[in-house]
Amino acid sequence: METFYEVLRRQGITRRSFMKFCSLTATSLGLGSAFTGKIAHALETKPRTPVLWMHGLECTCCSESFIRSAHPLAQDVVLSMLSLDYDDTLMASAGADAQAILEEIQQKYKGNYILAVEGNPPLNEDGMFCITAGKPFVEELKRVASDAKMVIAWGACASYGCVQAAKPNPTQATPIHKVITDKPIVRVPGCPPIAEVMTAVVTYMLTFDRLPELDRTGRPKMFYGQRIHDKCYRRPHFDAGQFVEQWDDEGARKGYCLYKVGCKGPTTYNACSTVRWNEGVSFPIGSGHGCIGCSEDGFWDKGSFYDRLTSIHQFGIESNADQVGGTVAAVAGTAVAVHAGLTALKRSRVDHDKEFPVREGGNGQWGK
Amino acid sequence: MSYETQGFKLDDSGKRVVVDPVTRIEGHMRVEVNLDSQNVIRNAVSTGTMWRGLEVILKGRDPRDAWAFTERICGVCTGTHALTSVRAVENALGIQIPENANTIRNIMQLTLQAHDHLVHFYHLHALDWVDVVSALKADPKATAELAQGISSWGMSSTGYFRDLQNRLQKFVESGQLGPFMNGYWGNPAYKLPAEANLMAVAHYLQALDFQKEIVKIHTIFGGKNPHPNWLVGGVPCPINVHDTGAVGAINMERLNLVSSIIDQTIEFIDKVYIPDLLAIASFYKDWLYGGGLSSQCVLSYGDIPDKANDYSAANLMLPRGAITGGDLSRIQEVDLADPEQIQEFVDHSWYTYPDGVKGLHPYDGVTNAKFELGPKLKGTKTNIQEIDEGGKYSWIKAPRWRGHAMEVGPLARYIIGYAQNKAEFKEPVEKVLKTLDVPVTALFSTLGRTAARGLEASWAAHKMRYFMDKLMANIKAGDSSTANVEKWDPKSWPATARGVGFTEAPRGALGHWLTIKDGRIDNYQAIVPTTWNGSPRDAQGQIGAFEASLMNTPLAVANQPLEILRTLHSFDPCLACSTH
Amino acid sequence: MLQYGERQDAARSATVKSIYVYEAPVRLWHWVNALAITVLAVTGYFIGSPLPTMSGEASDHFVMGYIRFAHFAAGYVVAIGLLVRIYWAFVGNAYARELFLPPFFTGQWWRELLHEIRWYAFLAPYPLKYAGHNPLAQLMMFMFFVVGVVFMIVTGFALYGEGLGQGSWADTMFGWVIPLFGQSQDVHTWHHLGMWAMATFVILHVYAAIREDVASRQSLVSTMVSGFRMFKD
Ligand code: HEM
Ligand code: HEM
Ligand code: NFV
Ligand code: SF4
Ligand code: SF4
Ligand code: F3S
Ligand SMILES: [Mg+2]
Repeated sequence: METFYEVLRRQGITRRSFMKFCSLTATSLGLGSAFTGKIAHALETKPRTPVLWMHGLECTCCSESFIRSAHPLAQDVVLSMLSLDYDDTLMASAGADAQAILEEIQQKYKGNYILAVEGNPPLNEDGMFCITAGKPFVEELKRVASDAKMVIAWGACASYGCVQAAKPNPTQATPIHKVITDKPIVRVPGCPPIAEVMTAVVTYMLTFDRLPELDRTGRPKMFYGQRIHDKCYRRPHFDAGQFVEQWDDEGARKGYCLYKVGCKGPTTYNACSTVRWNEGVSFPIGSGHGCIGCSEDGFWDKGSFYDRLTSIHQFGIESNADQVGGTVAAVAGTAVAVHAGLTALKRSRVDHDKEFPVREGGNGQWGK
Repeated sequence: MSYETQGFKLDDSGKRVVVDPVTRIEGHMRVEVNLDSQNVIRNAVSTGTMWRGLEVILKGRDPRDAWAFTERICGVCTGTHALTSVRAVENALGIQIPENANTIRNIMQLTLQAHDHLVHFYHLHALDWVDVVSALKADPKATAELAQGISSWGMSSTGYFRDLQNRLQKFVESGQLGPFMNGYWGNPAYKLPAEANLMAVAHYLQALDFQKEIVKIHTIFGGKNPHPNWLVGGVPCPINVHDTGAVGAINMERLNLVSSIIDQTIEFIDKVYIPDLLAIASFYKDWLYGGGLSSQCVLSYGDIPDKANDYSAANLMLPRGAITGGDLSRIQEVDLADPEQIQEFVDHSWYTYPDGVKGLHPYDGVTNAKFELGPKLKGTKTNIQEIDEGGKYSWIKAPRWRGHAMEVGPLARYIIGYAQNKAEFKEPVEKVLKTLDVPVTALFSTLGRTAARGLEASWAAHKMRYFMDKLMANIKAGDSSTANVEKWDPKSWPATARGVGFTEAPRGALGHWLTIKDGRIDNYQAIVPTTWNGSPRDAQGQIGAFEASLMNTPLAVANQPLEILRTLHSFDPCLACSTH
Repeated sequence: MLQYGERQDAARSATVKSIYVYEAPVRLWHWVNALAITVLAVTGYFIGSPLPTMSGEASDHFVMGYIRFAHFAAGYVVAIGLLVRIYWAFVGNAYARELFLPPFFTGQWWRELLHEIRWYAFLAPYPLKYAGHNPLAQLMMFMFFVVGVVFMIVTGFALYGEGLGQGSWADTMFGWVIPLFGQSQDVHTWHHLGMWAMATFVILHVYAAIREDVASRQSLVSTMVSGFRMFKD
């Protein structure tokens, strides 16, 4: 439709600020001002980067979220910034005609296309819990990944496994980094991720032609560098010790902190409390429900979303740290009491072994 | 092999055509058909090709969390499973929700209906009727006249369409067709004149921009979309319109925002969606294939309880009932708890039941996955060329109502509403029939299904207004309660309990059944609209709605599955939903 | 061997022997550390399960803020204290090293450990005499306290680094712990469990100290005060 430059122009960006943008790009890539012109030229004329968007086991909410993007608009991303050549949820063709596109792009743009993955491959039943074109999805995923330049793991599914990987993970749903091991992968977790975060990650990759800065676990630092709790507007109530104790109580109506009803904001890295959702309208906490930690690994298996303390499965029946630890401490306390009682019963004074000399000199004594 | 079932003559002797993946749907699906020498479909086999095991995963979990798990069954009909789930838990534990909670839930469910239908029509379905490339040949002036003639919608000047056409021209010339690559452009089954195509492309883009506004209602009440938050016992968003701290709750500003989005939604649907629907339909009214089961067996559970906590048919605004054998004069009562009515079978599905068990009511449902292929399979286990529908062939179970395969969805709801003589469903249907000048039987078709969805989108948008007014009135009357926490604590629950929740999801009747034991989920079963529609065969060889709808349809070009897509899309298949 | 009770009177007359065991820095450290850990456990508990809601304006209160501040301050005290204590292990007397170096590879130590266990199980008639820690105490101190406190410091500062932010010293040094456990919530859980492990240690430790002090003919609690261990027989 349009080149990147034209899209910017249509959005009211002048030639001047476009050039400024290009020079900024050049500097931040460490290329120096000589490259400004080259970058501008590339953005004005180069073919749009093909993106192949594949779906494994998922719920398509990542796609749904993506099309909610307001800046840039999803239509501008899909039609003008990149070339969405394969996406089974949106594409016109089907069956063999659709599959032919995968092959064509893989050959024509070897090493130059972006693979975006929503969902994940199941490995049980030889992969046949997710079948595409009669074959296990995992095969197609590996094949298409083999010539990709970079890979995007959309959502908690591709990044961590998400709901289908929750215990007992009957299909052995597997995050994509376990099957694509030789390509740079950026994880954009969330269930789903925020629309504008998704499009920002893509536009960043197109603009700077590289993955964004990633944190230790492969998430873009720019959106996943802080916890919900770090920038939550209810934080003053947390600090003050003012909590929603029960749904729809006075604290709830006053917007107190949701910690006691299970908010996982203190342990969840995401941009919800800053970027917010759906063009900044609200975010989970803003509408009265705690964060359920949907951008964190394994958030389904930490016990009830309404409990402050995590369930610990290792101890047989589900229990939390206070129950487990409290029991241990209580057992110790009881043992002490019993022991003290027995001691008092058996003797009133304790002597030492007369024959035995006092061991002096700390650790040095041993071995002598 | 050939046999008759439900009035269809199945014959698999002709050329086998495989479509895998079926695209522009949610999730993974495959369809195989046999064509006779005239390229008419004489056998149809639809396969759900994914399974995630949510019913297995839900075992042993806290029932209050179930909504979040089941919500992730689908991000397209986002929220409807969550609503169904909290209703099931409330039903099991006897929890009554406040009036405001019911109203807000209805607004959210209607928001989903409006949004999902709109996105389906423009972004998943339109390309079956609209030839994008042909739009290049349109005369912008004539397009503007066409658009202005059917609607007072603003963006319809000659200049607007010319700009758009230029954009499209450049896009096509770039050689990078993106999502439109390898489409069936030029196929003779496309009937729209170039101008109508250009107008539709314009609205494809406008609808893409607009749909993101509708869901903001979910964001206001549920914090985000997709996957807003829900709560057993009510809704998580408190109301505070008078006092300190109102900014942290549903306050006047939030209510105004909801209200203004409702107005915009009504306007977009009534001024863009409905006129487009009628305009497109008018060029296809001779193409009345795809009726499938709709003229025989349709089912609806009903939804949108006007008053809180009353789930009887009389209080439900969407119709409830079942029709079998095409007898529209006899609306049968539906009871989701009756073990004789709803049962699921797995004879042709990749699951096993305990020995000797034939059908199971979902309270006793078993989900035990087992992948095995029939003896006549062409290919291997991991490279299926032609599936054997004589054996197991789908991850979708086969639900039956009193032994019948049923169609569910907007068309089913409208047929039942029509048959019940409910004016709000009957009148708009009659208006459409009259506008298009087609008989009432035209309803039982692919087009009828697509039309019913549009009418329902409009109905839903207007009902949002009704509930918004109701919410305001209730708040004004001094009630701001949004949650009932009496039975929040699991210690207040009985040792065992069971319950069922239902909704009318965008794609049709949705039910969740659960049993609770010692505060944990003991069994959780969902039967989802696409489970009904996408059902494989049963032991008697009865076919499901998808398969039935493809029967006897001629293909204009044998190796282009345009008509197959058209009819399948008219159901808005959701495979993640169907198998869960 | 004499049976218990038979030799009491004779024993009474024995001379008192006293040995200088715990130097001042060790004693000071012990009590500061004990106080800090008590503060950590109490504040930590209330971080996990906060007190009932305060009414009034948020700006009038800072309850969680103070609780967390106390926790972090005490956390620093424990961490720096441990470093100082480790330093003292190098420069102090032989008893200063016992805490960190149980002689795991010495058969004699294991045999005497067994004896000590039998003594606590009322199976051996007398305990043996140690100027420093007895083997059982030493094992407990090492396994529960040294390992435990290092675990608490590492997980604690990993969590603290989340607040300080990526790139902060705590994140750089301990941030790797978080993905190691899975995610932040898991680190919270283990850190929380660690509190109970510490609490269990303290219960046993204090019991043992007081029991011996009251019932045995050697000094315990006063040793941690004065530094001298006295044997009355
Ligand atoms: C949070 C509470 C406490 C902690 C973490 C703690 C920890 C320790 C540690 C690590 C040592 C070994 C010192 C070394 O070898 O450098 C020790 C020794 C000792 N502690 Fe504590 N302590 C605590 C509370 C107490 C209390 C309340 C008492 C007295 C009632 C006590 C009495 C002693 C005594 C008597 C020793 C010397 C043991 C011996 O002679 O073998 N401690 N403690
Ligand atoms: C014996 C030592 C310690 C004990 C018993 C202790 C106990 C606790 C407990 C019970 C929690 C609540 C965990 C939860 O449920 O989320 C906690 C949180 C925490 N602790 Fe500790 N802790 C100790 C040492 C430390 C140290 C050395 C630090 C380092 C600064 C530290 C930093 C933290 C932090 C940052 C949190 C999280 C606070 C929050 O979420 O607001 N802790 N601690
Ligand atoms: N089928 C289905 Fe849904 C709907 N509508 C669920 O209940 O789409 Ni995913
Ligand atoms: S990550 Fe969550 S939102 Fe995205 S597809 Fe998976 S289940 Fe849906
Ligand atoms: S609501 Fe959640 S994220 Fe916000 S301050 Fe409270 S605990 Fe933190
Ligand atoms: S639940 Fe998810 S959407 Fe944001 S506030 Fe929490 S990460
Ligand atoms: Mg089911």
